[in-house]
Amino acid sequence: MPLGSFTESFGAAVSSLNTSHLTDEVIRRSKRMILDTLGVGLLGTSTPVFNTVLQCSQRQQALEDSKVWGRPGLSLPPQYAAFVNGVAVHSMDFDDTWHPATHPSGAVLPAVLALAETLPVKPSGLELLLAFNVGIEVQGRLLRFSKEAHNIPKRFHPPAVVGVMGSVAATAKLLGLSAAQSIAALAIACSSAGAPMANAATQTKPLHMGNAARGGLEATQLALLSLEGNTQILDLESGFGAFYPDYVPHPLAEVTPTSHYRWVLEDQNIAQKRFPAHLGMHWVADAAIEARAKFLDKCPNADLSQIKKITLRVPTSRYVDCPLPVSEHQARHSFQFNCCTALLDGEVTVESFSKSQMNRSALKEMLLKVQLENPQDNHSSFEKMYCEIAVETTQGEMFTARCNTFYGHWRKPLSHEDLVRKFRANASTVLRAEVVEGIIYTVDHLDTNQDCSMLWSYMHFNNTFE
Amino acid sequence: INVCTQRSTRYVSAISAARGLHKSALDAAERPTPEETVTSSFGRFIQSVQPRHLSPTVLQRSKRMVLDSIGVGLLGSTTDVFELALQHCQHMYAPDDVSFVYGRQGMKLSPTLAAFVNGVAAHSMDFDDTWHPATHPSGAVLPALLAISDMLHNNSKPSGLDFLTAFNVGIEIQGRLMRFSNEAQNIPKRFHPPSVVGTLGSAAACACLLSLDRSQCSNALAIAASLAGAPMANAATQSKPLHIGNASRLGLEAALLASRGLEASPLVLDAVPGVAGFSAFYEDYAPHPISSLEEDEHSFLIEMQDIAFKRFPAHLGMHWIADAAAVVHKTLIGLKGGSISPNLVQDILLRVPLSKYINRPFPETEHQARHSFQFNACTALLDGEVTVQSFQPEALLRPELHALLSRVRLEHPHDNPANFNIMYGEVEVTLVSGDVLRGRCDTFYGHWRNPLSQESLQKKFCSNAGAVLSNERVERLIEAVEGLDHLDDCKPVLAQLQ
Repeated sequence: MPLGSFTESFGAAVSSLNTSHLTDEVIRRSKRMILDTLGVGLLGTSTPVFNTVLQCSQRQQALEDSKVWGRPGLSLPPQYAAFVNGVAVHSMDFDDTWHPATHPSGAVLPAVLALAETLPVKPSGLELLLAFNVGIEVQGRLLRFSKEAHNIPKRFHPPAVVGVMGSVAATAKLLGLSAAQSIAALAIACSSAGAPMANAATQTKPLHMGNAARGGLEATQLALLSLEGNTQILDLESGFGAFYPDYVPHPLAEVTPTSHYRWVLEDQNIAQKRFPAHLGMHWVADAAIEARAKFLDKCPNADLSQIKKITLRVPTSRYVDCPLPVSEHQARHSFQFNCCTALLDGEVTVESFSKSQMNRSALKEMLLKVQLENPQDNHSSFEKMYCEIAVETTQGEMFTARCNTFYGHWRKPLSHEDLVRKFRANASTVLRAEVVEGIIYTVDHLDTNQDCSMLWSYMHFNNTFE
Repeated sequence: INVCTQRSTRYVSAISAARGLHKSALDAAERPTPEETVTSSFGRFIQSVQPRHLSPTVLQRSKRMVLDSIGVGLLGSTTDVFELALQHCQHMYAPDDVSFVYGRQGMKLSPTLAAFVNGVAAHSMDFDDTWHPATHPSGAVLPALLAISDMLHNNSKPSGLDFLTAFNVGIEIQGRLMRFSNEAQNIPKRFHPPSVVGTLGSAAACACLLSLDRSQCSNALAIAASLAGAPMANAATQSKPLHIGNASRLGLEAALLASRGLEASPLVLDAVPGVAGFSAFYEDYAPHPISSLEEDEHSFLIEMQDIAFKRFPAHLGMHWIADAAAVVHKTLIGLKGGSISPNLVQDILLRVPLSKYINRPFPETEHQARHSFQFNACTALLDGEVTVQSFQPEALLRPELHALLSRVRLEHPHDNPANFNIMYGEVEVTLVSGDVLRGRCDTFYGHWRNPLSQESLQKKFCSNAGAVLSNERVERLIEAVEGLDHLDDCKPVLAQLQ
């Protein structure tokens, strides 16, 4: 293929995709993603990391500001609103996960909403959905350019790589950039991509998401001011290919006004989490819950301290192998911690990562009994991995369980009721009941609503400030 | 039970209980000798370095770098890309009236945005300093430090020495980081070095000037790592200057975030198998801790490895070929007299290192022209030199230049690697008459092996700064920077730039 053609196809697709290309299934799935992301973001506004980035961002002001979620009266320039709200979404690792692995929505939604708010003519709900889906689609396509991207990452944190590209594509779409401008925007965004994995499982990880949202929006704005980058950015190994050792780009399909477009989201659904921790923890929790049930079934009044040894058979992944987590961030990235919490409590919840829960002596004692094994057939891939648990008691009994697909995984998606229940639980920590229901209603009717500006107004409330 | 006891002893060891380390980190931390991690050694260094650690050579060289960088930034404020970046910041952000903007008297932006636009200015014409291993160190560090200095209260501005200390910390950190990889020794292919080490250099310098404690200094570096790294493909495009602007801005942001208590990976600079930190940007990564300032004799890298200042605004590689072509130009003038006519020339052979992104036979934009062996060789053949004006649109379009360009071919000898310490440039012009004229340059004037005299450096500064400042201000700046290490506070420098 002639050089530059992959990039061109992306620029063309981003500028040509329109609302008629959105299928029912894509609309349904993306509305679920939007609802989940908003709830997770609201909950995240109560975290210390959110407060830190908010304080830092407040020295900026602008002529047109966008609302900060969960902070009535506080607005920031749109990039900074996208930044802090993006941090909120990923602050507790509660946001959605896709395959190949990334957290796609948190990089896109905050940027789209912050930008939409500043537009003189507000976009319709369908236009918002379109922009959102373009941002998801571009991420999905880019992740398929590398085999390495199919496994749990080791070098660069995916949201920092593809997330900024998703954000720039979505915001470019919302502003109606031409194909050439879209290419420039993609190139500019690429220079903001990439953050090392080592900061995952630290307090800085949520900033990867915030910066992806911010960087993409900024790139779009710079492209609008006619800044140019490399027009072959997606074709070159020295371009987007810099982030992968095995980079093989493919062009996006041509998009005509009346053609049918095959969205990645249609072929590959998304996972939504039941508790705020790294996705791998969900297999462990479900397996542990099952083993616990078997244990208590056999011995109804059993004391869990009778457990002598716990063996977890999980994929190899250094950054979620944490035998004695100290911070909540580490706990969210610890096979051992989530296993023991599930064994003790029969569930893992938002509360499980609080200081008091983390400091329980029963939990700490149990952590010492956990041993990890990495079977060869357990691949470090969210598509293929499983978790097997073997609980051995002091009486010499053995209880085992295995989880291949946890509830919430794309192969076994959350029911609509459970998704809305998760949203209500999260949003209610910050919003009154009427506002919570208002958001649920608005998102549910996003594709038919002409004016969705109440969405960012709803996100701007906080019941503790009233 | 034996297994449990062994494991519980291991797990409850002092290190793990206190730091709750990741398993792989536990392995790394439980080596027999209680070594500090690389990351914490860096944090400790930044926090503990003092003005007294700066030798006279270091002071002298770094003041030269400060002067050159300011001049280049002032000139750069006349470029389109600078205007664009400035508009961007102004549309989105109302003036925060704190930090100055190069070449815009009276205009202020918030410190991070001032660092951004001034960094863009510094690199906008590829006129800023170049070091070995390859990066442009000063443009990533100076704008952020100047922005902070403006931010600090009138009564608490840093002294000239404090400023120079922070500047040198920013340079030193970059130099140290680049020595962690053999790959860094060659002209880069994947990530643009200023966006990799520049961001951490800026974070380090800012952490130093803001007097952060050592753990905050480590965190500043780690937070900056998540903001580092831009692909090479955008070099030789209009976006390239933003790499330096962003390095400066984001390094400052990282320091500010760290000062507010944000934490990141305590092992970001260490090599942890299976979890990439700063190593993510390199194929081969072997870090070493910085020696303690108390125990060992610490030597700043700038002392052992001087820096190159450019004589004209183009990629460093162009300077060899320009000097080589200038030799041929002089010979030609001697032979034929008057000006050079392309009709005399049959063939132009350039012997240069192999590097795709500076091999451009027919550059169309000024950015491309600054990254074209062919363009710079032909310009020097025609004019005897390459200057700021050589990249103006009129100069780019000259028909006689095009005529020469179409006669150029490149050769990449094996003994000419893409390495600024070793490379050379050779120009061989075959005339229609059959004569063959040759010119070769092993070390151009301005290279660290043949540094610009103080006079030449000041002349460059006057020419650059004079494009936007009055003669009086230009003179005062030269004086202020020259005496920077004796100033009680750096207001005399800042005042001329407001």
